[in-house]
Amino acid sequence: MWFRKSKPWHLDTDVVVVGTGAAGATAALAAHAGKARVVVLDKSEKFGGTTAVSGGVVWVPNNRHMAEVGIEDSFDAALAYVTRLADGRSDPAMIRRYLAAAPEMIEFVEGATPVAFKALARYPDYHPEFEGGRPGGRSLDPGLFDTNQLGAWKDKLRRSPVFGMTAMSVSEATDWGVFSKPSALPFGVLAKRFKQGLVCYGGALAGGLLKALLDRGLEPKLGTAVHELIVEDDRVAGVRAEHDGKELLIRARRGVVLASGGFEWNAELVGRFLGGPLTHPNSPPGNDGDGLRMAMALGADLGNMSEAWWCPSLVIPGEDYDGRQLHRGDFATRSLPHTIIVNRAGQRFVNEAHNYNDMMKAFFAFDPVSYQRPNLPAWIVLDAQYLARYALLTYVPGMPVPEWLVKADTLDELAAAIGVDARGLAATVARFNRFAVEGADPDFHRGESLYDHFYGDPEHGQNPNLGTIEQGPFYAIQVHPGAIGTKGGPRIDGDARVLRVGGEAIPGLYAAGNVAAGVTGAGYPGAGATIGAAMTFGYLAGRHAAAQPGAK
Amino acid sequence: MPEVEYATTMPLGRPQIWEFVKDMNNWAPFVTGYQGHEIIDDTDSIWTLKGDVGILSRTVKLRAHITEWIDQERVTFTLTGLNEKVDGGGVLVMTDDAPATGDDGADADAAPAPTRRRRWFGRRFLDWLFRRMFRRMHGEAPKRLTGPIGAVRSRLSFTLRMDAGGPTGPLVNAMLAPALEPAAEELANKIAAHLERVHLGGDAGAADDAAAA
Repeated sequence: MWFRKSKPWHLDTDVVVVGTGAAGATAALAAHAGKARVVVLDKSEKFGGTTAVSGGVVWVPNNRHMAEVGIEDSFDAALAYVTRLADGRSDPAMIRRYLAAAPEMIEFVEGATPVAFKALARYPDYHPEFEGGRPGGRSLDPGLFDTNQLGAWKDKLRRSPVFGMTAMSVSEATDWGVFSKPSALPFGVLAKRFKQGLVCYGGALAGGLLKALLDRGLEPKLGTAVHELIVEDDRVAGVRAEHDGKELLIRARRGVVLASGGFEWNAELVGRFLGGPLTHPNSPPGNDGDGLRMAMALGADLGNMSEAWWCPSLVIPGEDYDGRQLHRGDFATRSLPHTIIVNRAGQRFVNEAHNYNDMMKAFFAFDPVSYQRPNLPAWIVLDAQYLARYALLTYVPGMPVPEWLVKADTLDELAAAIGVDARGLAATVARFNRFAVEGADPDFHRGESLYDHFYGDPEHGQNPNLGTIEQGPFYAIQVHPGAIGTKGGPRIDGDARVLRVGGEAIPGLYAAGNVAAGVTGAGYPGAGATIGAAMTFGYLAGRHAAAQPGAK
Repeated sequence: MPEVEYATTMPLGRPQIWEFVKDMNNWAPFVTGYQGHEIIDDTDSIWTLKGDVGILSRTVKLRAHITEWIDQERVTFTLTGLNEKVDGGGVLVMTDDAPATGDDGADADAAPAPTRRRRWFGRRFLDWLFRRMFRRMHGEAPKRLTGPIGAVRSRLSFTLRMDAGGPTGPLVNAMLAPALEPAAEELANKIAAHLERVHLGGDAGAADDAAAA
C-alpha cells in the first residue's frame, strides 16, 4: 500500500485498468461505455496478455449462438454442471452471477468490437456426460482477425508462439482435422493468410478487443508496470506505475481494475500456494503475481489459491518465447492412438485423453510412505505408427524425426534411455495393446467420453483414442506439469469488487481474470472457461466502476 | 523459394576482404542467431543458429557445403537442414567497385573519412597486412604497395536462399521470407563494418598490431 502524500498526479482519469488480456480490455470497454474516462496499462510491450496466446475461445453457457447450431441450453443446466465441477471451491452466488451475466457480456462485446462469435457445435464441454453438460455450443470461436485493421498497432498485438502463425479458426481446425489429419491441412492457404496478416484464436480475440479500444481513443499504455495501489481516504485512488524508468502517478477517480494475470511464473508464489509443483507454465512470462501482491497489500481476502488451469506441457529445447524457454501445452498427442503416458515404474496412471486440467492432477498423486510423487516425472511413449500419421508439436509426418524425441529400437532400450522400469513398461504396453485391439480401456476409460473423441482420430478403428504401441522405433518425450495460468487470487463479489477478509469490499478496487479467485473453483467446465469468466467479470467491473460517483 | 540479395561497398581492396572472408571462423559470429559451428573439413561445416521463425526463436542445425571457392572473388555454398526440413544456399561475391571520385579520394556515400591519425594507422596496418600476405604467397617481400588505400573500393554482396520442404513448406517459407533479408543485410554490413574498423581505424588492437609490424 502506498500513500501519495503531497506528490502531484501525473494523470487524472476515472478508471485505470491494469492488464490488456480479455478481462482488462473488456473492463475498459465497459467502463468507457459507462461514460468513464479510462486508462489502460500493461507492463508488457505487447497487447493481449494471456488471452493473445490462448485458443481465444469463450465459454458462455446459454449463449444466443447455440440456437444457431441447434443446441439448447439453460441456466439451470449450466448451474448444476459448474457447481459440480467447482468441487466446493467457489461461492455458489458467484457461479450464478457468472452464468447470468456471461450471455449479456457476449452481446456487449459483439456490439462494441468487430468480433463475431460462432458457436462451436462439436467442441464438447470438458465433462459433457455430467449433469448439465453439453456436447458443444457453449464454446464460442472468435474466428479470424485482420491485423491490418490495427494500423500502427499491428505489431504491438501479442502473437501466440503456437497458434500465431497458422491462421485458421477453431471451426476450421475442427473441420480440417487439425489433430488427426495434419498432413492434409491447407498449408498454402495458411501461408497466404500469414502474409496477409490474418490471425486466429487468442490473437483474433485480442485483436478485435484492441481495435475497439483504438476506435474509442483508448490507446493502451504499454511498457507501463504498476507497482502499487495508492490509497486515499480508505479507498483505492490510483496507481503508482513506471514507464521508461520514470514514476507515473495515475489518479483513478472511480476505480482500479486489476486484470494483470496469474502468478504462474513466480516460483515463490507457486511454491507457497499451489497444490502441485507447477514448473512449466504456458503463458507469457510476465504473469508473476504482481496484481495478487498489490491486492494482498490492501488486506484482500484470497480464494482458490491452490488451483490452476493445469495443462501437461512439452518442451522443445531451444525454443524461446519472450526470452524464456517455451512450454507447449499438449492437447492432442496424448489423446491420439498409439500413445500412452507412463511414470517411472512404467505404469499408466490416468486417462491420457482426459481434459488437460483434470488429468494433470493425477501427476501430483502423493505417496505418504515414500513421501514422493510417483507420477513425476512422466513420459509420453509412442511408436512409429504414431509418427506416420499424426503431428507432434512442430513435427508433421514427412518431416525428419525430431532430435528432441528420445528414440530407441526396442521398448527395453527406450525404458533404459528415459529411466523407466523396463519390465513395468513392457507389461503396461502389452496390456494397453490388448485394450487397443478390443477398443476399450477398462483401466482408465480412455476414449469413452465425447471430449476424448474431440482430440482423437475419428477414422481410427473402434476407438478414436486407442491404438497399439508395437511398431518400432519407439519414442518418448517427457511431460511436465504446466498450466495456462493460475486461478487463485483476491476474492471478488458479483460486481468484481475485491473483498477484504470479512467480506467487505475494498472501495475502488476491482479484479477480473486470472488475477482473481476463479469462479469455477477446481474445475474447467469447457474450452474458454478461463476467458469466459475473465471477460464476464471484467465487464461487470468496468460497468460498476463507471457507475460510481467518483472521488473529488 | 525465399531468396534475398544484399550488397554493400567498402573502401578496401578485394585482398583485404578476402583475407577475412576466406576463414569462416572470422565472420561466423556475425551470422544472425549464431550459436556455434563445427568445421568438418575444407568444404563442410555444421552450423547451429537460433533464429526467429515467425514469433518464437528456434534452434536450427544446418550443414554448409562449399561448392565453389574462387580466391578474392566468390564463395558459393549449399545449406541442408539437419533438424528441420529446410534447404538452401548462398554466395558471397567480391567485385571491384567504381573508384573513389571525391577530391580527397573518398566517396560521398562512404563511411566517414578516417581522421589523419587514423588513416596513418590504418595505412600502416594495411601495408603490414599486404606485406604479410605477399610474403606468404610469394616467399619474399613486395617491392612496393600497389596504390593508396581509399582509392580502391570493393563491393561485397551476399545472396541467401532458403526453402522449407515437407507439407508445412509453404507456411514455413512464408515465415522465413521476412527474416532472410535482415539476415543477409546484417552479415554483409557486419563484415564491412569490421573490416573498415580494422583497416581504416578505430580498432586499437589492429592499430597496435600495425604499429608493431
